[in-house]
Amino acid sequence: MDFELSADQQLLLTSLRTLLQPFRSPPIGAHGYVQYSEALQTELAASGFLEVASQPGYGLLDAALIVEEIASCPVSVEAAASALVAPLANQAASPMAIAWALDVPVRFLTVAKTVCLLRQGSWFIGSPDAKNVRQVESVVAYPLATLGAAPSDAVIVTGSTAEAITRRALIGIAVESAGLMRGALEQTVQYAKDREVFRQKLAQFQAVQHRLAEDAQLIHACRSLAFRAAYQDDDKSARVACLYAQNAMRKVIYDCHQFTGALGLTLEYPLHLWTYRLKYLQGEGGGKAEHAQRLAESVWELPNRMEPQRRTKRC
Amino acid sequence: MEFGWTEEQLALRERVSAFLRDELPDDWEHIASQSPGSQAMTDFSRSFCPRLAAAGLLIPHWPAEYGGRDASTWDHFIIGELMWAAGEPRGPQYYNVNWIGPTIMQFGTPEQKELHLGRIRSGDVVWCQGFSEPSAGSDLAALRTKAARDGDRYVVNGSKIWTSYAGLAEYCFLLARTGSERKALSVFLVPMDRAGITVRPISSVVGDGDLHEVFLDDVEVRESERLGAEGAGWDVARYALNYERVGIPRYALALRTLDRAVAVLMRDDNFAPVARDAAATAYAACEAAKLLVYQVVDERAKDAPATGITSMARYAVITAEHRVAEFVLDWTPHLFVSEEEPMVATHHKRAIASGIAVGAAEIHLNLIARNVLELG
Repeated sequence: MDFELSADQQLLLTSLRTLLQPFRSPPIGAHGYVQYSEALQTELAASGFLEVASQPGYGLLDAALIVEEIASCPVSVEAAASALVAPLANQAASPMAIAWALDVPVRFLTVAKTVCLLRQGSWFIGSPDAKNVRQVESVVAYPLATLGAAPSDAVIVTGSTAEAITRRALIGIAVESAGLMRGALEQTVQYAKDREVFRQKLAQFQAVQHRLAEDAQLIHACRSLAFRAAYQDDDKSARVACLYAQNAMRKVIYDCHQFTGALGLTLEYPLHLWTYRLKYLQGEGGGKAEHAQRLAESVWELPNRMEPQRRTKRC
Repeated sequence: MEFGWTEEQLALRERVSAFLRDELPDDWEHIASQSPGSQAMTDFSRSFCPRLAAAGLLIPHWPAEYGGRDASTWDHFIIGELMWAAGEPRGPQYYNVNWIGPTIMQFGTPEQKELHLGRIRSGDVVWCQGFSEPSAGSDLAALRTKAARDGDRYVVNGSKIWTSYAGLAEYCFLLARTGSERKALSVFLVPMDRAGITVRPISSVVGDGDLHEVFLDDVEVRESERLGAEGAGWDVARYALNYERVGIPRYALALRTLDRAVAVLMRDDNFAPVARDAAATAYAACEAAKLLVYQVVDERAKDAPATGITSMARYAVITAEHRVAEFVLDWTPHLFVSEEEPMVATHHKRAIASGIAVGAAEIHLNLIARNVLELG
């Protein structure tokens, strides 16, 4: 066990942070629900950061570190699928969209060059046909669209590679969630330090301190579990990381909005750019119910697979 | 950043596991279902710890000059993790090897080291920790027990409360006030048979043998029994707490308890999806706690100063313990009150103290707020 970043990892993150610096500042003034940054997407593509997992001397953990850092920014870009899944899909063109089903909102589909569609345990990977992509307007801070049919040029991936793609997609959810929660908490903590109520800073109230402290612990654990999942690249740790993150984010989202009050609900304030991506991820990949069932089967070697009681479509 | 064990660590894990398989008797779980400070557990520790010492597994982390093997922090931790998962057969003596001995090594006189370290490393002595008082728990510096200087001795008056293992302890690691300043405290190594010491057990839901009141009425303590300089008690205590910053790896027994409860549900064909959901959630909480504790060990192994990760790990452990305890109450409530799985009820007794003893949960949140988030 060694929880320190290696010198290479520190250098990687330092370089990435330099690239991300112009994108750290939240947009000034009123802005829309979504802040997709084509500029950052382009810079990341040119920089090679999203291909780090395929570089000699680097691996999936390094890719996860990058995805988490990117997610802590208030702008939305596709990074997780490109960095974590693409290496299993012949380094398919980026940006990539992960569609867990047809006719459900999919992140980044409107800008994706590659879509991975899950159908009955197999992944259909190809270029999204524009005629099958329908944009969805929502309050979520990701660009969303639905996919009406599998890509006409799809390569069908089955078996253990398909399982690995699923696993990498779940790791991506956990890692991205950790970064989003970190960004949301940092924003909220600063607000609490600045905001004065009842003649003292909001951050001086112990009730506020305790809840933010709990959030800090949850987020640190989310990051740790997500990085472990990337390092181990196995189903059990991926499910643990996803389950923990999708449970933890409920409290983090709630607390961040409670402490920023009405201001935090506005589009002029950047909090939603993190929390309304988290809300989308809360049910991604089957949601915590799915992860809990699969994790229980794995941990206790259960012979019979039981489906969680879901009536809604999977996102 | 790495998340795996080395070959040597895996070998140690197997060696300790094999020792436990071979040395724990068939009725161990019924013994372990009693408190670490109970007569049964204390008696068992007096036979188990010498065997553990003979196998080189009681104090391997101690410096060679004190009978150890300079084993790594990780080796020390691995042993402790497996011991706790098994129900802690070292009983009250885990205190001694984990922090009392190391603190005496750090601050003790040659005579104190001669007197105490030998018996600790042979697994043959029980200590108690005289810290908390009726008016000083989380706010330890508010303690009132006073050690008044009288020539080459002190006269101690006051009382301690919640003192684990005091009923059967031979020595007390006592923190007392030797000056008027808030942190003018000193540590004394006091024989529990000294005149003027009265111990009263406190019955509780955490089991008998663990909680006591200790009354000190004109107890004479020699200067030679003071550990460290007069007035340096706060630093001594902080050293002890910092050395022991990892704390008890409570998630280890929690995971085992969860396995037991799930096994009962599976046996009874009663492990429904909703129960699986709760079990998996509790499992994830334990995994999170484990990973954060490992980070504390990593800091300790690198001799790095304690950071906010210590409190985050402690808080995560508390959460995990309670999740598992609640799972048992929700899904296998009969195990809480029956003898069917004694360690399940035992876990509950230990878990309920998890957020209260050795730093209350709310104190850890204060520390996270201050040290990690820089609030207030």
